[in-house]
Amino acid sequence: MKSAAGAREVIAVLTGGNRLWGTYHRPPGDRPGLPRGLEEKNRIGVLFLNPGFQPRAAQGDSSVYWAESLAECGYPSFRFDLPGLGDSEGDVPEPMLDFINAGGYATVVSAMIHELVQQFSLAGVVVAGLCAGAVTALYTGGVSKECRGVILMDPYFYQTKDQRPRIRVALTEWSSRSRLGAVVSNVYDRLRYLGLLLRGNRLPGNANRPLLRCWKQLAPTGMPILLLKAPAYKAEGIKPRVGEFDYLSYLQASAGRGNRVVVKFIEGTNHSFADALGKAAVREHTQQWLHSCFPSVERTQAVAVNGWR
Amino acid sequence: MALGDSRTKTEELIHLRWTFKQRSARVNTGKAQVAATQCHAGNHPAEEAGYFEVPGAHLYTVLHGVANPTARVLLVGSFASERHLSYIPWVRWARYLAARSVECLRFDYRGIGESTGVFEEMRFENWLEDVALLAQWLKERSPEAPVILHGLELGALLAGKVFETGVGDGLLLWAAPRTANHVLRATLLRRVALDNAFKYGGDRKSSEDYIKQLESGDFLEVGGYQWSSQLWQDSFQVELPANLGDEASAFPVHERPVRTVKEEKLGAPLIKGSSVGYEAINRDFSGLFDDNFAWIVQSQAPSQGEPH
Repeated sequence: MKSAAGAREVIAVLTGGNRLWGTYHRPPGDRPGLPRGLEEKNRIGVLFLNPGFQPRAAQGDSSVYWAESLAECGYPSFRFDLPGLGDSEGDVPEPMLDFINAGGYATVVSAMIHELVQQFSLAGVVVAGLCAGAVTALYTGGVSKECRGVILMDPYFYQTKDQRPRIRVALTEWSSRSRLGAVVSNVYDRLRYLGLLLRGNRLPGNANRPLLRCWKQLAPTGMPILLLKAPAYKAEGIKPRVGEFDYLSYLQASAGRGNRVVVKFIEGTNHSFADALGKAAVREHTQQWLHSCFPSVERTQAVAVNGWR
Repeated sequence: MALGDSRTKTEELIHLRWTFKQRSARVNTGKAQVAATQCHAGNHPAEEAGYFEVPGAHLYTVLHGVANPTARVLLVGSFASERHLSYIPWVRWARYLAARSVECLRFDYRGIGESTGVFEEMRFENWLEDVALLAQWLKERSPEAPVILHGLELGALLAGKVFETGVGDGLLLWAAPRTANHVLRATLLRRVALDNAFKYGGDRKSSEDYIKQLESGDFLEVGGYQWSSQLWQDSFQVELPANLGDEASAFPVHERPVRTVKEEKLGAPLIKGSSVGYEAINRDFSGLFDDNFAWIVQSQAPSQGEPH
């Protein structure tokens, strides 16, 4: 069995007694079998995490596409399955979202980053995650000494449950399909808006306070953070749906003076960013952000040759 | 194409370098540490991931190895956009079998998941070839053991078609559709439902609008994959071979054991991506697994000669 195919290589780490499988996307000139990364001092790797329970390729193989394109620009890129997910060993924690929302995977990812830095002679790693993966990425930024930046794709900052009440699921489906349902849904939104005003625009009861604390500690340190936002149902542009708390404004206000937070809204895509438009926009924003935060001669040359692909 | 013995010494060394020693037994508290020990570690030591070369691409494969297997099973998985939804139970099924001396090989089709290749250039013939080549490789492994083709959803069609050509000592079908178009159409309907959410009246598009786009020769993005017009057209022709729909009629024709498990017996999260959520991840599949494992053992027992 070949462990490499073109610029891809299957790799594994053992952590917490579980073997975790991943894929390494080699940048040009980094050939298999040779000591890696010795030629460049400022090597920054990019690590993609599972979006929720999905395997490391993600929906529409979008993570494969992003990792491949970043590797072509000179960033060694990695995609790993966390314990219990994809090909990796271990049990899926239950309830899974409670575990993720409390930062349960952060120490495993932190340990993984440490090994990537050692093995690939990296100066540090940028952690990227989508949805629940973004939650883990942010927590990791708070605990890992070798984490140099965080890419948060459509993160959420409230407590979520593995199972939504059936009646709520049915009501959402109904309101998304029928005109009468739409009217009821709009009334509901207005009532929530009223509640928001009455609360004085304070954090909702289901806010993920540990995660927000992590943000408040991390962002003011000047750690580069790229936050990519996708359009949400019934929302106009980057603003939240009527009646929903504006977490994005809250985050920006609490990021501190020295923050290096960049927020980009990607119009016309969806939460997974897996459609052609979303894939391309994420790739473009990420490449440019990485290039501005982690400049290097080699990568500038790579971009000059390959362009922003 | 010698899967299993083509690893060079350099590649072995790389693999060894990628072995890490556990510091803590707890999943979320352990710190990984380098240890140049053996590469087979962890709870499933005989699992080996790698790439298998096929014309124009490399297939990502995971072998759930067994020392002296009673049988070998080629797991032929579901369609592109369904892959990530059925992944966890599919891996668990492979581990369940491997723990009971049935060697398994999982893989990603060309152009999908971890495999290389460009999805929009793929045809069903390419994926049929993937199945045939891997089945052949499994058959050639030592020590000799019967090879069962086992397909899920679209994979059931592909496994059935390869089985029809005489490949495999048994066939296990889970949720086999009548044609590949049934799978594509169900996937397309989920995209249509998402696109139409919170749209009303004239703002909504029908599935026929999307199908017209495909029939006019344009690509259509569904679940992150670009469907070609050719893929859609071909999907009508990819049918479950005659007599494979039910076990009783299959045996006299093919003279090898066949089992079909209907869709309603499987349920989410092995199929029907739309209803899968976090709550279904740890669903108990022991009944399904026990039942099908028993069939695999019985069907390949030396005295077998009748359909089960």
